Amino acid sequence: MRKFGIFLLTIVSIGLWVACGGGAESEAPADTAAPAAEAARRVDPATAASLQGKVNYSGQAPQLARLRMGADPTCDKQHSEPVYAQDLLVNDNGTLENAFVWVKSGLEGYAFDAPTGQVTLDQQGCVYLPHVLGLRTGQELRILNSDPTTHNVNPTPANNRDWNESQGPNAPEKIKTFARQEVMIPVKCNVHPWMKAYIGVVDHPFFAVTGKDGAYELKGLPPGTYTVEAWHEKLGPMEQQVTVAASETKTVEFSFGG
Amino acid sequence: MVQRLKSWWKSLSKLEDQPVPERDPIVNSSLAIPLALSSLLLMLSLVWAFYEEGWGLRPWRVYQDEFQELFVSALEKKKPVSREEEQAILASSGYQELLARLRQAEESRQSDLQSLEQQEQQIRQRLAILTRPFTTARSEIQAKRYEVETASASSRESLARQLDELRQRNYRIEFPDGPQDYTFGELEEEFNALKAEQGHVQQRKVELLRAPARLQRQLNEYVNNRLAGLTEVQLDGLIGEARGQGIYIRQIHNPEINLVDRCESCHLGIREPVTLTADEMGGRRVFVSHPRPELLALHDPETFGCSPCHNGNGVGTVSVTKAHGKYKHWLWPLFAKENFEAGCLQCHQNDRHLRYADTLTAGKDLFQYRGCMGCHPRDGFDTEPRETREVQKQITDLFAEKQAEQLKAERLLNLGDRAATNEEANQLYADAQAVTLDVAAIDARVDQLRVRADELLLEVKKPGPNLKEVRMKLRPEWIPRWIENPQAFRPDTKMPQFRLSPEDVQAVSAFIWQSGVEGPLDRQPQGNAERGRQIVESRGCLGCHSVGEGEQQHGGNFAANLSRVGEKANYDYLVRWVHAPRRRTLPYCPVHARDITPEDYAGQGLPFRFDLEYNRCPLGDHSLQVQNQNVMPSLRLTEQEARDIASYLMTQRHADAQYAPVPFIEDQALFDRGRFLVRHHGCAGCHEIAGLEDEGKIGTDLTLEGSKPIERLDFALLTHDAKKEGWYNHKGFFENKLRNPAVYDQGKIKEPLERLRMPNFHLSKEDIDRLTTFLLGSQESVVPEQYHFNPSDQRADVQAGWVVVKKYNCMGCHEFYAGQPTSLVDLPQYQGDGREKLPPNLIGEGARVNPNWLARFLENPALSREDVHRNGVRPYLDLRMPSFDLSAGEVQKLVKFFQALSRQPLPYLPVPQEPLTDRELVLARGLFTSQAAPCLRCHATGDPRTDQTKTAPNFALVSERLKPDWTRRWIVHPEIISPGTAMPSGLFREEAARWVFALGRVPGLESYPGDHADLVVRYMFQFTPQEQRRLTGR
Repeated sequence: MRKFGIFLLTIVSIGLWVACGGGAESEAPADTAAPAAEAARRVDPATAASLQGKVNYSGQAPQLARLRMGADPTCDKQHSEPVYAQDLLVNDNGTLENAFVWVKSGLEGYAFDAPTGQVTLDQQGCVYLPHVLGLRTGQELRILNSDPTTHNVNPTPANNRDWNESQGPNAPEKIKTFARQEVMIPVKCNVHPWMKAYIGVVDHPFFAVTGKDGAYELKGLPPGTYTVEAWHEKLGPMEQQVTVAASETKTVEFSFGG
Repeated sequence: MVQRLKSWWKSLSKLEDQPVPERDPIVNSSLAIPLALSSLLLMLSLVWAFYEEGWGLRPWRVYQDEFQELFVSALEKKKPVSREEEQAILASSGYQELLARLRQAEESRQSDLQSLEQQEQQIRQRLAILTRPFTTARSEIQAKRYEVETASASSRESLARQLDELRQRNYRIEFPDGPQDYTFGELEEEFNALKAEQGHVQQRKVELLRAPARLQRQLNEYVNNRLAGLTEVQLDGLIGEARGQGIYIRQIHNPEINLVDRCESCHLGIREPVTLTADEMGGRRVFVSHPRPELLALHDPETFGCSPCHNGNGVGTVSVTKAHGKYKHWLWPLFAKENFEAGCLQCHQNDRHLRYADTLTAGKDLFQYRGCMGCHPRDGFDTEPRETREVQKQITDLFAEKQAEQLKAERLLNLGDRAATNEEANQLYADAQAVTLDVAAIDARVDQLRVRADELLLEVKKPGPNLKEVRMKLRPEWIPRWIENPQAFRPDTKMPQFRLSPEDVQAVSAFIWQSGVEGPLDRQPQGNAERGRQIVESRGCLGCHSVGEGEQQHGGNFAANLSRVGEKANYDYLVRWVHAPRRRTLPYCPVHARDITPEDYAGQGLPFRFDLEYNRCPLGDHSLQVQNQNVMPSLRLTEQEARDIASYLMTQRHADAQYAPVPFIEDQALFDRGRFLVRHHGCAGCHEIAGLEDEGKIGTDLTLEGSKPIERLDFALLTHDAKKEGWYNHKGFFENKLRNPAVYDQGKIKEPLERLRMPNFHLSKEDIDRLTTFLLGSQESVVPEQYHFNPSDQRADVQAGWVVVKKYNCMGCHEFYAGQPTSLVDLPQYQGDGREKLPPNLIGEGARVNPNWLARFLENPALSREDVHRNGVRPYLDLRMPSFDLSAGEVQKLVKFFQALSRQPLPYLPVPQEPLTDRELVLARGLFTSQAAPCLRCHATGDPRTDQTKTAPNFALVSERLKPDWTRRWIVHPEIISPGTAMPSGLFREEAARWVFALGRVPGLESYPGDHADLVVRYMFQFTPQEQRRLTGR
C-alpha cells in the first residue's frame, strides 16, 4: 500500500509540475535592443581631400527681366540705374553665378564641429543681398533691413518652421536659425513681390555658392564617394557621383544646358 | 502486492472452507491493471482540472505575467531617454533662470527666516513651560466658579472668597532665564500674548515663503510642460505600481449600457500613461497602447468600455477567439483593422464628417458621390425627397385642420348669436376668437412650409446628370458605348456598369434618346482652346474635376474626369452648360408631373421665362423645378470664357476614337422595352428622366444592414464556400458583393430579369474597405439613446453644416480643419509662390466674419448684382468662388456651421466701435499711409489699375465683413490664426500692456497714449469709400 501511495504522490507531483511548467511557459521576448550606435566619425585633416570646379552654362546669357519697383517709390529712388532680376546670371566666362553646390550624400555618420559665425542676409535697395546663400543647420542667419521702407521676410520652407515677420526701416536685426537640412528655402517679401532669395541649409560644412567666376571649392572632405549636387533656381538641380582619395584634389565640372 | 492479495484471499477461503470455483474471475484475474489505469485517469483528469482552473480557462493570467515583465523592462528602457530629456530641460536657460530666481529668493529670505524661526523657537519654549501651570490654574478657577454659581446662599460667600484667593494667588514659573511671578490674570495675559505672537510669526513665515513656493511650483511646471513623456520619477512610480500589481480580471462595468468588458485583462497596456509600441513590448501587439489616445480622452473607457466601438465578446476571457467574438455563436465579431471605424456609427449616425474616422467618412462620401443612395434608402442620405413628401403631407394635414377650425369658429359664433344671455354669448364669441387665432397660426405655419417646399426644390440633387437634355447635349453614337461599359470610356467614372445584353443597351439608348427634350440652342462661335485650358487650370474647375489621363490625371475626383468630353459632347450645348450648368431647357412641374412647355406659357398669355425668380407654374399657383438637379455651380464666367473652355474640352478626345452609327436610336419600337429596362434597373435613382421623375428607390434600405441577421444575407450557392473559407459574416458578404455585385448569382439558373440588379462600380480595394466599414457600422445601436451624439447645442449646427459642405464639395477647394487635404493644394500651379493663389482656408471663419455678411456672400459671392464676373472679396485670385444657388435654408445652415465651429454666439450683435476723434483720425491715417506701414501695398483699394497685383482683401469690406475682436487679434498675431499666411507678423509690439506700432515712426503717434492696434481696428471699421479715395489719392 505504501508503495502505491508513493506512486500516486509521484504522479500528482509530476502532474502539477507539468501544469505549472506549462503555465509558466511563455515565449521569451525577442531581443529588440538596437546595436549600440556607431560612434560618429570625425574628419581627419591629414587625409582631407577637396573638390573644386566650375558650374558652366552652355546657353546664351538671357535678357534679364527688369524689376519694376514703382509700387514703392522709396525702393525706386535708391536706384539710379535700372535693376534686373538675378534669376539667371551668366558670367563672361560662360559660367553661372548663384549656383549652390553641395555634398548631397556620402557624409552620413560623420560629426562636425558646431557652426560658428553668422551669415548675413541684407535687404538693400529692395533686393536681397546675397541672392543665394548657404548656411549650416543651427547656424545663425542675421537679417538686416538697410532700406527706409518696411519689408517682411517670408521664407517658405518645405521641411523647416514657417515664419513671416515684418521688419521696419532701421529695425533691429533678426537672428534666425534653421533646424533641418533643406536645399533650397525660397525667401520672399510680400510687400515687394519682386524680392527673392534662396537659402540652402546643410547639416555639414561642404557647400558653396558660385560667384563671378562660376567656381566653387569644397575643402576638407574626408576621402570617400559622394553625390555632389549643383542647384540653380532656374535650371534646377544636377548631381554627380564622385570618389576622392585621401588628400586628393579633384575637379568636378557641372554643365547646364541653355 | 498482488501476492499479498492472493495470500490474503487464500487465508479467507481457508476460514470459510468453501470450494474454490475453477475459473473465478475474482480469484484468477488481477484488478491491478484496471485499478492502476483508472487511478491514472483520475490523476490525469485531476491534473487537467487543476490546469484548466489555473491557466487553461484563464489564459489572461499568462498574459498578465508576461506583460508585467515586458512593461517593466520597457519602462526601464525609457528611463535614460527621459533622464536625458529632463536633463536637457534642467540645463536650459529658462529653467536655470527660474532656478536662479528661486535660489535668490530663498537666499534673500534666509536671514529673516532664521530670525523668525528663532523667535518661534523661543515662543514655543516659553509656551511649553507656561501651558501646564496655566491650564491647571484655569481648570481650578473654572471649577471653583461653577461651585460658586451652584452653591446655596449660605456657602456662596466663603466659596467666592476662595475663588478670589485662587485668582490672587501667586504662580511662580521657572523660565530658563530665571523665575517669574504671576497672578492668574497676568498668567492668562502672558499665555494669550505668546499664542498671538506665535500666530503672527507663523503668518510672517508663510508670507516670506510664498514667493519661493510659487517659484518652486513654476519650476516643476516648467519641466512637466516641456517633457514629452513622463519624468524619471514618474516612470519609477509606474514601475513600482506594475511590480505590485496582482493577477486579476480587469473589468469595466457600466450597468447603464449593460456593459461588461474584460478586454483589458489581456490588453494591459491600452491605457498606460506611456506610449508602448509592439517593438518595446517584445513584439507582442496585444500589449501596445491604444493608437489614438485622444479618442480615449473623448470617450472615457470607464463609461464606454471597448466592445461598443470594437465589437467582440467583451465578457469572454477563455481564449482569443472567444473574446474577439470570432466564432459561430457570437453575432458581432471584432471589427477587422480596416473596418474598425464602423464602431463610431454606434453613436455618430448624424455626423456626415467625423474627425478621427477618415475611412468611415470616406465610406459615406462614396455612398453619396458614387450614387449608392440613388437606389438604396439610408437614413441621413438623400433626405430631400423624403422631406419634400413630409412637407407636402403636413401642408395637406394643416389645410384640413384649418378647415375644421374654421367650421368650429363658425359654429361657436352661431351659438353665440343664439345664446340665452349676453354673458354666455360673449363667452362663446371669445371662444370663437381663440379658434380664429389658431387658424391664423396655422396659416403662418403653412406659409413657412411652403417656403421650405420651395427651398427643397432647390436642394434636391441627383448624383447623375439630367437625361432629358441628352438630345441637345450628346452625340447619339456615344450613348450605347457609354451605357455598355462606362469604365472602358472613363476608368474612374461614378456611372456603374449594368448587366445588360447588347439588345438591352440598344433599347435603353433608344429610350433615353427619344425621351429627351428639345429646345432652341444658340449656335456658338469657336473659342480659344488654349485660353480655355488656362481657365480650367486656374479658375477652380480642378477643385472637383480632373483632367488628363493615367499618369497625367490631376485635379479632384468629386466630379467627372474631363479628358474625353470631346468625344461625347455637342459644342453648342457644352458652351451653355459651362456658362450656366443649372440651366434647364424646360421647367418641371411636380404637381402636374411633367415638363412645362413654351405652349403652356403661351396658353396662359405668359412669356416663356423661368428662373429662380420666375418659378411659378403657369398652369396653377405652385413652384416649378427651374434648375437642373446637379450640384455643379456657376463660376460666373463670361460667355467668351465659356466658349474658350468648351473649345478646350472639345479638344479632349482620343484621336483614334471610332463610333459606329446608331440607327436604332430613333427606332420607336425599342422605346417601351427601353423604358421598362430603365425602370427595372433604377436609372431614375441617379438621373432625371422624362416620365420617371417620381420613381422610388429600387434597392434595399441599408440603414441597419450591418445588423441584419446573417441568414437574411443571401450568400446563395456560395454559402458553403463562405463557411468553409471563413467569410460567412457581414464583412465577407459586403466585400464580395461590392467587388462583384453579381457574385451571388454564381451557379444559379436565372432569367435575365431575375438576376441581381446591382451594377458593377469597379471599386478599388480601398473603396471596398471604406464602404464595408460604413455598412458594417450601419447597425441597430447597442448603446442607449442618451449616449448617441445628438447634441442640442451649437454642435448640432456643426452636424447639419457638414451635410451641406459635403454636398457641394466645399472641401475640394477650402481647408476646414488643419491638415485637411484639398484637391488643389498639391497641384503644381499652387506650389512655392503659387501657395498665395490658393483659396482662403476656412479654419476659424466663424470668428472672423460677420454672419450676416457671410449669408449675403454665400448668396452672391460677387457681392454685386451687376459686376458678377469677379470675386467679391478676393478679386486678385484667379480662382473664383462659385455661385451655388444655395437655398436660404442651406445658407443658414452654413452660416450657423461656421459660427458654431468657432463657438460664436448667434444672433450676432456687433459691439459698436467708439468713433475716432479728429486727432485719432489724423494719427490712424498717418499710420496707414506711412512708409513704414505696408498695409496698402498688399491690400486691394478698389483701384482697378493696381488691384490686379494686390494679394489681400479691400479695407472697404472690413466694417461689414469682419468682427472687430478678430481683426485686432489678426493684425497683432496673424501667424497663430492662419499659419503660413502672407500677412506678416510683428506689425505691433507689446509695450506696457498695450500694442504699439513696431515698424517705424509715425508723426504724433509716440505721444498717443492709447493702444495702436485698437486705433487701427477702429479706423478700419469706420473706413468709408471717401476715406479710401483720400488714402489712395484718387
